[in-house]
Amino acid sequence: MARHKRIQTEEQSEPAMEISSMIDCCFLLLIYFLVATSLVSEKKLDVSIPGSAASAGPPPPLEPGRIAVRANGSVFWNDEMPVGDAYNPDAKQGTPEYHDQRYMESLVEALKALADQAKAADTTPIVMVTGDVKTPHQRIVDVMAALAEADIHTVGLNTAAQE
Amino acid sequence: MGKKNARQVEEVSGEPNMSPMIDCCFLLLIFFVVNASQITVSKDPSVRMPAAVSCSELKDAKGCVVVNVFTEPEKMTGNALKKYKENYPPGTIWGVSDGSKNIGYAKGQEQQLTEFISKQKEFFKSKNMDEKMIRLYLRGDQDAPWEYSSGAIRCAAAAGVTNIVFGTLPSR
Repeated sequence: MARHKRIQTEEQSEPAMEISSMIDCCFLLLIYFLVATSLVSEKKLDVSIPGSAASAGPPPPLEPGRIAVRANGSVFWNDEMPVGDAYNPDAKQGTPEYHDQRYMESLVEALKALADQAKAADTTPIVMVTGDVKTPHQRIVDVMAALAEADIHTVGLNTAAQE
Repeated sequence: MGKKNARQVEEVSGEPNMSPMIDCCFLLLIFFVVNASQITVSKDPSVRMPAAVSCSELKDAKGCVVVNVFTEPEKMTGNALKKYKENYPPGTIWGVSDGSKNIGYAKGQEQQLTEFISKQKEFFKSKNMDEKMIRLYLRGDQDAPWEYSSGAIRCAAAAGVTNIVFGTLPSR
């Protein structure tokens, strides 16, 4: 009699889905992504080196722009016009001094003018960047950022011969 | 009659409701899945990334041959120096990962680095990837001399990879 009653009670109870294992999996995945994710994700600056096929062909209709970066980080446009001061690694992020150093306004303007000329001539603007062997990588990235802002992506990268 | 109903309600409310917690958990999971960077494996903690004023989002890391460019060990501190010493032989300038282990190349090993980039290029090509999508992802330390970064670019050019991506962090 008792057995019969118990079976009846089990049959009457509502069917329930077992979700505890799914929650376990979910928590494990959550912990994995929490650990693996870095919230400050890396950004990029795209550059394309002029190909050898292009250099073997006829010269480009527009003279390529030239940027020289010296060992101390100072930047020159077309070898003569200073467009960036010497690199100061101690400048703190977020300060006006830091922004002034990183953002080379006159270089961006010169590059935008070159891009406009190229557009008028229906050609691709090319810029040659020559860095000293000792130039900090950060300073080259500053120049690349200026190129990206002027929407110039075909860049020749050279190293200045050591004196 | 009313008394009985009240007792029933009390009995039901004894169980905690799990569904809002599960909802939150799923939302968090989706957030972190979306934010997880695809090149987590190749990020080297010994490289202090440069900051750029104007840069774009790295949405797709497919076809990227990641090369870390280190500065001189004298300029490294703390965990960066510790990891560098643990993962690479002394004198390493360029650090790469083949998926299973870290490989370090020193000055004078440009040929080996070129071969590594060529192998990676062939690997991506075997996956039917467009050649334009195969890029050198240069993770240069902000203090690394240009000689080191340009060395990696020369090796990539020798291997036929002419699209370069400079890895940066956003400037605040």
